[in-house]
Amino acid sequence: MSTLPAPRPGHEGPEVTPLIIASPRGRRRRPSGEPPPLPRHADHSIRWYLLLGGLAGVLWAGMSVPAGLGLITRADLGVLHAVAAVRAGWLTRVMLEVDALASPWTVRLMAWGTIAVLVSFRRFRHLAAYLVVVLGGALLLSAMTQEIGRMRPVGIVVLGPWQGYAQPSRPVATLTLALTGMLYTLVPAGRWRNRGRWAAAVVVGVFCAARLYLAVDHPTDQVTALIIGWPLAVVGFWLAVPNDVFPVSYRGGRQAHLDIGGRRGEAIVTALDHQLGLAVTVVEPFGLEASAGSTPLRIRVREPGGAETVLFGKLYALSHLRSDRWYKLARTVIYGRLEDEKPFSTVRRLVEYEDHLLRLMRDAGLPVPRPYGFVEITPEREYLIVMEFFDGGQEMRKAQVDDPVIDDALRVVRRMWDAGVAHRDIKPSNILVRNGQALLIDVAFAAVRPTPWRQAVDLANMMLTLALASTPEHVYERALTVFAADDVAEAFAACRSITIPGQLRSLMRADGRHLTSRFRQLAPARRPVPVQLWDIRRAAATAALVAALAAAVLLSGIYLKVAGLL
Amino acid sequence: MLATATLAAGTALAGCAAIGGTVPGCGDPLRLAIIAQSVPTASYVPCLHDLPPGWSTSGFDPSQDGTGFLLDSDRSAGRPVTVRLTVACDTGGASPSPSWGPGVLTYTRLYSISPRFAGTLYDVFPGGCVRYGFDFADGSQIALVEQFEQAVGLYPRQQLRLVLKRELGVELSP
Repeated sequence: MSTLPAPRPGHEGPEVTPLIIASPRGRRRRPSGEPPPLPRHADHSIRWYLLLGGLAGVLWAGMSVPAGLGLITRADLGVLHAVAAVRAGWLTRVMLEVDALASPWTVRLMAWGTIAVLVSFRRFRHLAAYLVVVLGGALLLSAMTQEIGRMRPVGIVVLGPWQGYAQPSRPVATLTLALTGMLYTLVPAGRWRNRGRWAAAVVVGVFCAARLYLAVDHPTDQVTALIIGWPLAVVGFWLAVPNDVFPVSYRGGRQAHLDIGGRRGEAIVTALDHQLGLAVTVVEPFGLEASAGSTPLRIRVREPGGAETVLFGKLYALSHLRSDRWYKLARTVIYGRLEDEKPFSTVRRLVEYEDHLLRLMRDAGLPVPRPYGFVEITPEREYLIVMEFFDGGQEMRKAQVDDPVIDDALRVVRRMWDAGVAHRDIKPSNILVRNGQALLIDVAFAAVRPTPWRQAVDLANMMLTLALASTPEHVYERALTVFAADDVAEAFAACRSITIPGQLRSLMRADGRHLTSRFRQLAPARRPVPVQLWDIRRAAATAALVAALAAAVLLSGIYLKVAGLL
Repeated sequence: MLATATLAAGTALAGCAAIGGTVPGCGDPLRLAIIAQSVPTASYVPCLHDLPPGWSTSGFDPSQDGTGFLLDSDRSAGRPVTVRLTVACDTGGASPSPSWGPGVLTYTRLYSISPRFAGTLYDVFPGGCVRYGFDFADGSQIALVEQFEQAVGLYPRQQLRLVLKRELGVELSP
């Protein structure tokens, strides 16, 4: 049922978003207790893995009292004596070789190999998850080894080399952990990972069999080691790098983009249907190469009459929020606090802000996409903002830029000044041209009541963008029809290399003309506007970063030792 | 950010834990079994009595080649006493010292008296030997030697075998 009134016919101005309620059921409120479109839940294997973790806990609890330890040890020894019945000279030599193959050096080689691949593919999130899981496994292993303090098998000849307490088996746990880490950070989910699981199971199985034959481990030492190395590690990776959010893929493309197939694809369609009343026919990735901060989508929607409308969507997730935080911290440290660089606290806030800015700028008569609101995919984790798709719009660097376009683009900046907003990311890919009109997209960085300096920078970046398709002299001449000469002078007095978006800077470098200098020559002379390069926040952030790096160097040595990588 | 914090905290904790390494106490025979397994012939196994103030242990390392650990004193920082149980020791050139128990012969070999008091102490018994390497600054050596001698005890294998049989129902071999 629709919860919003549809605008009366004839009252749909450009400032009113027309509702496209073509879904048979229309909008629908999610009742309390009903799961969201894409609930974050543990699948069956994760539940089993957690149960196995519980089993390890039960075994450790049993071993912490002499009566339980005696019972478990006698059962273990029964198994070992049965295995020892097949001992033979040649088989012992084979088992010793197998045991030696999975030496600490083999495990270290696998671990360092995994780290090297993750670094070379710049998969730092998976690397961090890998390091945390390996450290967590090593810590649990050390803690339980010390806590239980179990002897090696007694009453039977131990044929192989050993070191340290028996429970849990350190060699078995570290080998399993190394294999699990490789599988869950390097191998794409699906067919290859399933095959990898079987291969790893065979390797670990043979290794465990060899150690039981040699009687260096009790069977229960291996059971708990396997639980640390496999199920608990998998739960760790599931928590840190869930595959539906951070899939392992070698198909290229930015890591920030989410996979919109499978359950997420279905959830997007359901969410748009229930929350915005949109009858979606197709959702597809669009313009991925130009976006790093979200997953851009083209959404085809069926209208009540059967016609099809195209909308634009941006899918935001926790990963994008974290990228935004790191981006802003890096800007603060490298450039100083140019202006408000405070990161968003939640994904919801990030999306709310963009939706608000779209509506505010639209109300101010600015040519930004018409907002259709946003939908919740997974509460506090994933949201999709929907807006008008500028069909037929061309990026400014690919469009014909004549006087009407130049004038219109400059008037857009004038209107932003009048409305008290700044776009903050004026560059060729964010200005589309359609029917001689300049259109602004990607308002996520925009600010309301910005500093005068930032408003001046917007003008400078717009003039530089236009000059790439024209000449600075001509753009300056047209600018004087919209702005005073002093405004232009202020714009280029505020302009620095760091205030120019990366894409615009690269295009200017490729262009070869000294556009900024030429504009400064054309405009009245003005002393540069000081850019706030150092403040307490930057000093604190830099000091904290240096301290963190020093601590990291100190801790990394300990880490490598503790995690068994040295 | 969370991953970094977890890594840092975990590493620091683990580092501290690793430095503290637990050596079994003489009152905890079930944990002493692994030391007995490291030298199956030894009629005694080293264990730890209550440590005097300022002393700590680290590097507990039992394996099929014997057992070693370190005794650290804050009055001899960076120069811990090394304790190692092996099948046999070369006591050639060492002087006999008063023995502390039946079946145990004690020897001392000093490499230096001043400016450092450095040497090796041996507790030799049937099937095994415990070697203590020390290197103390001149002046505090008498108290430190007394303290580490009192800190380390020897637990009879025969008694350990009886405890394991009674508590766990298993036979310590041989």
